[in-house]
Amino acid sequence: MTKISREEVLKIAEISRIKLCEEEIEPMIRHLEGVLSYAECVQEIAADIEEPSIKNVNVFREDVVIKTDSEKILCQAPEREENYFVVPAIIETK
Amino acid sequence: MNDLSFATIAELKVKLNNQEVYVDELLDFFIKRFNEHDEKVGSALEIFDKTSILEQFRAQGTPLSGIPGILKDNICQEGRLVSCASKILQNYRATYDASACKRLKRFGALPIGRANMDEFAMGSSTETSAFKKTKNPWNFECVPGGSSGGSAAAVAAGLIPWALGSDTGGSIRQPAAFCGVVGLKPTYGLVPRYGLIAYGSSLDQIGVFTRSVYDCALVFSSIAGYDLHDSSSLNARKKDYTQDITGKLKEDLRIGVVDNSLGADGMDQEVVSAVEQAIQVLEKAGAKIKRVELPTLEYSAASYFVISRAEAASNLARFDGVRYGMRDKDAKKLHDMYLNTRHDGFGQEVKTRIMVGNYVLSAGHAGRFYENAKRVQRMIRREFKNTFNDVDLLIMPTHPAPAFKFGAFDVDKLQMDLQDYFTCPMNLAGIPAISLPCGMTQNKMPIGFQLIGPHLSEGLIFQTAHVYEQNTKWHTIHPEGF
Repeated sequence: MTKISREEVLKIAEISRIKLCEEEIEPMIRHLEGVLSYAECVQEIAADIEEPSIKNVNVFREDVVIKTDSEKILCQAPEREENYFVVPAIIETK
Repeated sequence: MNDLSFATIAELKVKLNNQEVYVDELLDFFIKRFNEHDEKVGSALEIFDKTSILEQFRAQGTPLSGIPGILKDNICQEGRLVSCASKILQNYRATYDASACKRLKRFGALPIGRANMDEFAMGSSTETSAFKKTKNPWNFECVPGGSSGGSAAAVAAGLIPWALGSDTGGSIRQPAAFCGVVGLKPTYGLVPRYGLIAYGSSLDQIGVFTRSVYDCALVFSSIAGYDLHDSSSLNARKKDYTQDITGKLKEDLRIGVVDNSLGADGMDQEVVSAVEQAIQVLEKAGAKIKRVELPTLEYSAASYFVISRAEAASNLARFDGVRYGMRDKDAKKLHDMYLNTRHDGFGQEVKTRIMVGNYVLSAGHAGRFYENAKRVQRMIRREFKNTFNDVDLLIMPTHPAPAFKFGAFDVDKLQMDLQDYFTCPMNLAGIPAISLPCGMTQNKMPIGFQLIGPHLSEGLIFQTAHVYEQNTKWHTIHPEGF
């Protein structure tokens, strides 16, 4: 049975960049514990078996510039200035 | 015009060729079908206006010339909204055609709308869509399955002759079975994923819904084949899969029945007996039936669960409110903007899957979960490979039980996840499978079974599925009221 602490779930939420409201924390812990306890069964058979992994191959193609209308892309940004995406402050000022 | 609601593509093509009906009449007809019936079903998120559809029509004398269809809303159609049924992409417009969409247009097909789905294809009932519920055309109290529920329901209700969906763990085959239509998940890499918004990239595959096997082969032929834009694309030549449909079984065809699937815990007995009858039909048609076991099957769902969530967490990191989609405009700092945008933009199921994915990938847990899941995946692949030394195709049920009612798994979400039990092993192995209608329950709900083959065996699957279809009547039965 996988046990998950409050600190752990908050850490995962932080990694995931998802805010968890106070009332969402408990149900999330319970849900994660439930599904992860189920998923743990992969250990049962996988533990002793060495199954070589398939070799991955890199796939390359020519780096050809295709003319695209950047306006079609930029105009979908929530906020922009000319050819830039605008975001809120990254560095805090004291 | 005769009632063309449940006509096959093959029949529509004859009518177009004989000029019994014209392209724009056919288009009017199917747009009207949605206008009249989709309020009941809720299969489409949008049906485009006729003029804009015809503007894209450029091919005459091509295999799908003038045949309307609908695409799941995670497949890009240039200039159209593509939302993945998520608030976070609600107003996003595709800037290019997905390769599959582009090929369909080149073949003359007319994509006329966007089909509802589970948010980001995460679900087995289409209930996680942020916008609407899709109902099962056979019983409005039941779900159509998912995640490609809108595509399946539209085809089943005779609103459209074909639809595209995507299948990561069963998202084409399970809704096809729930709605009583044909649904194909192709070999991984055979249909380009370029322009398919990613969920689990190593498992995702675009596939086809139709009401007949021939139609499925026809639409599939237009979308399959190598694509430079997809690095996981297989180097497979384009071919016409309808040529494989000979009306006869392959000589000495050997079909394995996966015994431990039919004997699995919680199997509905009506489903078991319908699948057993399907086996008899194929045996009578000349196939040699062999009973086989796939012991690793039991662990597939858990392996799939871990791998799909891990890939989802990585893929959905891109939705950050910077370049497209919604943004929390009140946040003063970048970090808060990320947190709030993703909190408000994603639905509960999506957030949970991202959390699970990051948990199984995080330091200290990756070995226990992710690496073991990948090891199990390799075992499943080997097991299928060995089994296909003895048999040409395999048979399994598509689903443990017929379509369930809305909200049936609200409390026990894990049971919903186990909907993938019989379908996700093929995604893990990258092999093709088709779901075919094979019966009805006493409550008049469809039942489906899968024909499964080794990599690139779509031709043999179509050939066999077609013979099965010719010996049964299930594909000719349609829901009432449409």
